[in-house]
Amino acid sequence: MKILVYLKQVPHQDARLDISSDGTWIEESNIKFEINSYDTYALEEALKAKDSEGAEVVVVTAGQDRVTQALRTALGMGADRAIHIKDEAVDASDVLGVAKVLAAVAKEESPDLILTGLMSEDSGFAAIGPMIGEFAGIASTTAVVGIEREGGKLTVERELEGGNLEVVEINTPCLVSVQTGINQVRYASLKGIMQAKKKTIDVKTAADLGVGDAISPKLTTEKVSVPVKGETAELVEGSTDEIAAKLAAKIKELGLL
Amino acid sequence: MDFSFSEDQKMFQETLRDFLTAEHTSATIRELWDSETRRSSELWQQLCEIGIMGLLVPEEYDGMGMDEVDLVLCLEEMGTHAFAEPVIPTLVGTRLLADLADKSLAQEWLPKVAGGEAILAVQYPESPFVQDAHVANLLILQKDGELHALTPDQVKLTRQDSNDPSNCLFSVDWTPSADTLIAQGEEAAKLSAEAFDRGALAAAAQLLGCGQRMIHMACEYASERKQFGVFIGTFQAIKHMCSNAQVQVEYVRPAVYRAAFSLANNSVNRSVNVSMAKLAAGEAAHTASRVSMQVHGGQGYTWEQDLHLWMRRAWSLDLAWGSKQMHSQRIASIVIDQGVPTAPLGESWLA
Repeated sequence: MKILVYLKQVPHQDARLDISSDGTWIEESNIKFEINSYDTYALEEALKAKDSEGAEVVVVTAGQDRVTQALRTALGMGADRAIHIKDEAVDASDVLGVAKVLAAVAKEESPDLILTGLMSEDSGFAAIGPMIGEFAGIASTTAVVGIEREGGKLTVERELEGGNLEVVEINTPCLVSVQTGINQVRYASLKGIMQAKKKTIDVKTAADLGVGDAISPKLTTEKVSVPVKGETAELVEGSTDEIAAKLAAKIKELGLL
Repeated sequence: MDFSFSEDQKMFQETLRDFLTAEHTSATIRELWDSETRRSSELWQQLCEIGIMGLLVPEEYDGMGMDEVDLVLCLEEMGTHAFAEPVIPTLVGTRLLADLADKSLAQEWLPKVAGGEAILAVQYPESPFVQDAHVANLLILQKDGELHALTPDQVKLTRQDSNDPSNCLFSVDWTPSADTLIAQGEEAAKLSAEAFDRGALAAAAQLLGCGQRMIHMACEYASERKQFGVFIGTFQAIKHMCSNAQVQVEYVRPAVYRAAFSLANNSVNRSVNVSMAKLAAGEAAHTASRVSMQVHGGQGYTWEQDLHLWMRRAWSLDLAWGSKQMHSQRIASIVIDQGVPTAPLGESWLA
């Protein structure tokens, strides 16, 4: 069994985020990065399959040189090999373009299962999983909080609004994007980190994967900004009935109903 | 000569940082203080699964066969998180058992240490008490220039009070016998001296992390607390205090790393380098705690604030593995009385 895990390197949760000088993204030069936490759950799910069934786990990411750190961490946690899409055109592309590239990896690798996080913590599109599934021509499902595998079929639990769950059966090969909390993510071990040095990281470009001409961005970020703090907060005071009446009047006044 | 740490060594530290940040918060410390043993077998097991306790264990005993330079950043990280599980005595005991001429104890115990099945306690002559003797599976004790190894059923423990509830000290009643003897004479003296230096280095590295954390706490508080309509961190009086403490910590950093290198390479200046590191780290941590306490104002004295968790840790680490006086006297004795030069870097550094 081969499992492909797509992961993304994102700014560290404790990093101070400043807007870049061109105002279209954050300043990345002096901050630390880490694996997107959603993706760590996907990786753990794959490593559990490796522990129990001896699955081969291949981690894939796209980005600048710094993303090799994320791949090394994943290899240190137990992944078998890694693929690094290192291509400035991919970095400059949008979610659609990146999905095409990652889908091309999936076609080349022909995995039994693709796992990825539900969304990334930096851009938060929650779109790349289904897009990869579509471009790779395989079924996909999202927001998964439980996976059971039997033969060539997965039974997964999906998280819905209001605490409801949906149970879905899906045939492999397929793509599953997982929700956080699906498992307890392991830490890399020191032995694993040492062994990771001997594992392979294949570097590829979009052209190597045959999609070099198909990734020009269709979406452009115009501006990234910090929300302006409003100074129009109004404290509603009085008894419960008075507060309710004042709130209802305010809602009507603002035309929110 | 490249003095920077390797990518692997930095990843060891980052892995441990991720683990401690998630699993060992100030709330964890407070919970452990209220527990019977003040130690967590779960945390210990996780730490061993990451591989920290196997780092100094030779490869033939299922360890990684690495050295103090590989370890020092991890020790520093433990200080940053006020992590007080019995890492220092176990690491010290690990090398001691590995270096014994008779390998039977190493064969029996070191695979267990690497696998998280055994904790070691080590007595050193400068302290009347033994740290973490209550959770140790093997105690290495000293008497009359001899080293003895005893199991818990061969000793009687009496808990001792400490300003730092994380610091678990015990007086140990025991009787030496031919069966417990593991080294004597020159071998015991050599092993004992190396064990002491290794323990002092580990305490110095943890003090370094502890001091750094207290400065961070001061800076964080100064960036949140407003007085006269502005953050108190904008006042020069606050900035200068924090900067001076940070400068002191930065000067300690190379001293600690040099001591680690000395131990790993059995430098002729090993003991003086370790003493200088321990002395400087203790003073820097003391400065950091004083400054942080002042920046925190009245709140710094309260039980609810986390600062005192790190202050207490710094106090107990400062007293462990040789006091300031002991290390000062040792430096004076080595440098002045014996005339051993404190060479900076180069060939003369290595034995």
